[in-house]
Amino acid sequence: MALFGIETEYGIAVEGKGASDLVSESRALVNCYAGIFAKPWLYRNEDPRNDMRGFHVDRLNYDPDDAAFDDPHSKPLPTEVERADHVLINGARFYNDHGHPEYATPECATLRDLVAQDKAGERIALACARQRAAELGKQVSLFKNNTDFHGSSYGCHESYLTTRTRPFGELLFGLLPFFTTRVIYAGAGKLGVEPRGKRGTFQLSQRADFFTEEASVDTLHRRPIVNTRDEAHTDPRKWRRLHVICGDANMSEYATALKIGVTSLVVKLLETDWSPAIRLKDPVSAIKQISVDQSYKWNIERVDGKTIGAVDIQRIYLEAACERFAGFDADSEWTLREWNKTLDQLEQDPSKLIDRLDWAAKKDLLTEFVESEGLRWDDEQLQSIDLAYTDINPETSLFYALEDAGAMQRIVSEDDIVSAISRAPEGTRGAIRGALVRKFADAIGGVSWGGVVLRTETESWMADLGEYLDCDSVKVALGEIESAKDLTDLTLKFRTAS
Amino acid sequence: MPTIDNERATRPAPADPTRRDSDDSGPTKPDVQRPDRSDLLKRMKRVDPDQARRYRQRSGE
Repeated sequence: MALFGIETEYGIAVEGKGASDLVSESRALVNCYAGIFAKPWLYRNEDPRNDMRGFHVDRLNYDPDDAAFDDPHSKPLPTEVERADHVLINGARFYNDHGHPEYATPECATLRDLVAQDKAGERIALACARQRAAELGKQVSLFKNNTDFHGSSYGCHESYLTTRTRPFGELLFGLLPFFTTRVIYAGAGKLGVEPRGKRGTFQLSQRADFFTEEASVDTLHRRPIVNTRDEAHTDPRKWRRLHVICGDANMSEYATALKIGVTSLVVKLLETDWSPAIRLKDPVSAIKQISVDQSYKWNIERVDGKTIGAVDIQRIYLEAACERFAGFDADSEWTLREWNKTLDQLEQDPSKLIDRLDWAAKKDLLTEFVESEGLRWDDEQLQSIDLAYTDINPETSLFYALEDAGAMQRIVSEDDIVSAISRAPEGTRGAIRGALVRKFADAIGGVSWGGVVLRTETESWMADLGEYLDCDSVKVALGEIESAKDLTDLTLKFRTAS
Repeated sequence: MPTIDNERATRPAPADPTRRDSDDSGPTKPDVQRPDRSDLLKRMKRVDPDQARRYRQRSGE
C-alpha cells in the first residue's frame, strides 16, 4: 500500500505586525482551533539530525538573517507552549512551526484522500485565522506559498513511505534528475528572482532560488534538492520515509494530485532495481535554470556534456513507470495518463495547462492584469497579485476566484473536503490516531506519528501505530476502539490482541 | 493506458513564435478559450498593490 502526506507551512500576515511578531502570532492563531484535539507532541521520538547516508550531524544549519528577528532578551518558552501542537480527529497535526501555522495531513493511501486532506488543512487554518482576526479586530491573512519575495522561504514538504531495500546512494542517483525537472508541472510559479534578483522575471518554481545543495539533512538553510533526513516514523529496519522538501505549495487540486501521484510512482520505481540512465552535470544550477527559462525548452546539461530537455527526462521515468505500473490500481492509471498528457502539452503549448497547473494559471492571470493595466512586468504591484493568488480566503483569493469561475479542474468535491475536516483517510493508521483523539482526547498523554500515549488512572500505555500499515490491521484496531467501553477496556483488548 | 513514443523522447520541442528567450518583456498571453473573467479582473484591481512589499516572513523549513 502506498502511503504519503503533505505538510504545509502557511505564510501569515497580521495587520500592524512585523516578522518579529510572527512566531507569537502563528502560535495564537493555532490556539484558536476550536475542535477536539490531543497534545502534546512527543518530540523525543524524533531526530531530524539523523542522515540516511549513515551518519548523524551535530547540528542543523540555521538562517543567520532570520535570527535577526529574534528578541535576544526574550525568554524561550517551553516547546509544548511554543509549538502549540494540536493532533486532530482527522489524524492531522496542526501547530506553530517557527512563525508559520503548519498543517500536516494524516497518512493517506489515495490521491483523492490526499487532496481532500490538504484542502481540509486550508479550511481549518482559515477558520483559525478568522477567529484570530475577530479577537484582534485586525486583518489576519494566510498564504499557501513558499516565499516572502524578500529572501525568506518556508516549506511544503511531502512524505512517502518506501522500503529500505536499496542503498540510499542509488535512491539519490535516481531522485536527482526527477526532482530537478519536476518543477515543469509541480511549480507554483513566482514573479521575481531571490535574493535581490530581477523583479520582472516569471519563473516556474517558488522554491528553486533557495536550493544550494544536491543532498543534505538540512531544511532551514543551505537547503538541498534531496533531503536526507532519516526519520521513518515506523520500523526503520524495514522502512524509510522519503522526506521531500524541494516542492512548492500548490493551490491547484490537480497539481497536488499529479505531483504526489507521479512522485509516489517514482519512489515505487526506485524500490525495484531500475535506475534512470541519466546523470545531470549540476542539478542545483539546472533546477534554477529550468525555473527561469523563458523559452520553455528547459534544456539542461548532462554529465557527459550533452544537453537534454526536462520533458525528455520526465519521459524516461514515465516510460519505466508505464512498463511496471500500468493497470496496477486506479491512482496509478490516473497518474500515468495525466503525466503523459501533461508532458505532451508542456511540449506543445504550456498555455493549455492554465486550468490545471498553478504556474500556468498564475502566469495567465498576471498577463491579463499587465495588459489590462498597461503595466511593465517589473511593476512592484504584480508581486501582490502573485501573493493574492495564494491567499486561502475564498473571498479575497485569486486562485479561488478562478476556481469559482470554473476555470480550474477539481479532483475532489466540497463535500469531500468538509468530510476530511473531521474524518481521517480510511484504512490508514491516521484513522486509528483520529479515532483515539475523538474518543479519548482527555486521556492522551502525548502523540507522535508512530504512537499515542494513553493514560488510565493507574498506568500510562503507548499504543504503537508503527506497524499499522495495511487496511486489514487498521480495520481490526478501529473496531476495538469503537467497541471499547472505556480506556481500560481498550488497553485490555490491545494487549490481548498483541 | 498511455503509450510512449520513443522518437518523441529525442525530438526537440516544437518552435513557438509567441515565446521569447529574453525575460525583459515578460510572458506572452496564451491563445486559449477561457470562462468570463470580468469579475476576476475586478478582484485583481482590488488587491492592495503594496501587499507584497510589506509581506515579510520568518524563514521556515
